[in-house]
Formats: sequence, C-alpha cells, structure tokens
Amino acid sequence: MAQLDNIIHQTVRLQIMSALVALDPGEQVDFVYMRKILNLTDGNLGAHLTKLENAGYVKIEKTFIARKPRTFVNATGKGRDAFDEHIAALKKIIEGSKK
Amino acid sequence: MDISKEEAQGSLEQVQSAADRTRKTIASSYDSYLLIMWGLIWIVAFLGTHFFLAWVWQIWISLCGIGLIVTFLVSWQQFRKAKPIKIPASEKIGWRIFLFWSLLFAYMFIWLSILRPRHGIQINAFMCTTIMFAYVVTGLWFRSYHMLWLGIAVTCITLVGFYLIPTDYYCLWMAPTGGGAILGTGLYTRFFWK
Repeated sequence: MAQLDNIIHQTVRLQIMSALVALDPGEQVDFVYMRKILNLTDGNLGAHLTKLENAGYVKIEKTFIARKPRTFVNATGKGRDAFDEHIAALKKIIEGSKK
Repeated sequence: MDISKEEAQGSLEQVQSAADRTRKTIASSYDSYLLIMWGLIWIVAFLGTHFFLAWVWQIWISLCGIGLIVTFLVSWQQFRKAKPIKIPASEKIGWRIFLFWSLLFAYMFIWLSILRPRHGIQINAFMCTTIMFAYVVTGLWFRSYHMLWLGIAVTCITLVGFYLIPTDYYCLWMAPTGGGAILGTGLYTRFFWK
C-alpha cells in the first residue's frame, strides 16, 4: 500500500523532486536554473538537496563547463520510486475522502 | 503521517506546478528559436521559388546560408553557456552533432552527384527528406520526441508533395505545410508547451 514519504512531503523537497522527476531518467538540471525555477535561495536549495541526497533520492554532480564550476542534480531510481509512491499515497487520500 | 484531503490536494498542485515550470525551461531552450527560424526560412524559400523560379538557387543558398551561420553561432554560444538541462556526456555530443550534420550534407551532395536527379523537385524532396532523417535520428538520440515526430511528419508531407501534388504547385504545398510544421513546432515548444 502506498505510503507518504516524510522526506519528500516537505514543501520545498516536494517541488524539487517534482522538477527532477519531470526530466527523463539520466537528465540533470543545473543548480542555478533549479533555484530560479523554484524561486529559492542558494542556501535553502542546497540544504534540501543535501537531505534528499542523504536519503539516496537525488545525485549531485559538481563539474566544470567552459572552466566555470557547475552543479547538476538528477533524481535517482530510488528517488523516482519514492516520489511515485508518495504521489500514489496523496491520490489515495483524495480518493478516500470522496467516498 | 496523516494529512488532510486539502493538504494532499495542495501538494499535488505544487507537484504539477513545479513539473510545468521545469518543462517550460526545457521548451524555452534555443532549439525552439532555431525551429522558428528554419520554419520561416522554408516558408520564404518555397514561396520565393514558386514566384521567382529563375532565382531558385540564389534564394535557397542565401537563406540556408544565413540559417546555417545563425544555427552555428547560437549552438556555439549555448555550448559555452551550457543549457540548464544536461544530458550525460552532452559536452562531447555537441561536436559530434556538428560533425554529423557536416557529414550528412557532404554525403547528400555525393548521393546527388551519383543519382543525378532529373529535375529540381526531386532535388528538393531529396534534401528535405534527408534533413528530416537527421531530425528523426537526433530526436531518437536525445529523446526529443517533438523533433522525432516533426521529422516523420515533414517527411510524410514531402512525400505527399512529391507524389500527389502537381509539380507546379509543389512549392505552394511545401511552404505552409512543411515550413509551417517546423515553425509551428518551434512556436508551440517555445510559448505553449507545459
């Protein structure tokens, strides 16, 4: 039975996972663009990404492009599965209240 | 963890909103602008060919030349800036894509010299379908499904024009359908894709 995920359910982390799962598996989003998409500060986004990374839900890659440091993030398979289960649980709550 | 129905609904709305904003970022990448440009080039070139047939080579060479230069400059700039969405190993893919298109054009002219088409419509249909082959291939590589389907659609449009439309009206057919499909895809992914 689908269960709500305490880590994903937090508002900012939910939006982060939503954005990452919207990409194809393997595609990575730039940290700066993610900050703009979600309208967050560097610190706020960084802290939540760390929590998701510690749970194994996202992977953070630091690299250089045109000699500038860049950080890219993608959802792991475990993260996608956990997100899907969380969404299923949310839908079940809504469907359950309609009966 | 227990939450109310209203909180669950609110969470789902946040999920949808974040996903939409992410897809919009992808859609507003440079690809859509290049599709808009090439769609306009096709429309102008085909209409120009229909009404000013004596200038056909000048029309296509000048417009496509401008298009290729702009495509190269935009792609180079984006390569240096890096797109917001990174596909694994995309830094190496950039040069490979450039080489692929360069080789494709080279082979196109080799094939034309071997096959020796009988008239201009054949040459045009051959070049259009070869370019759409490249759209389909790159669409498959990058899972850009709008490019994949655009390539297939314009190939079909070109085949309809070649086999079913009277020769005198081929360009009038290709301008709004082929050029329009490319332009429409660019506009859709830029402004309306969610």
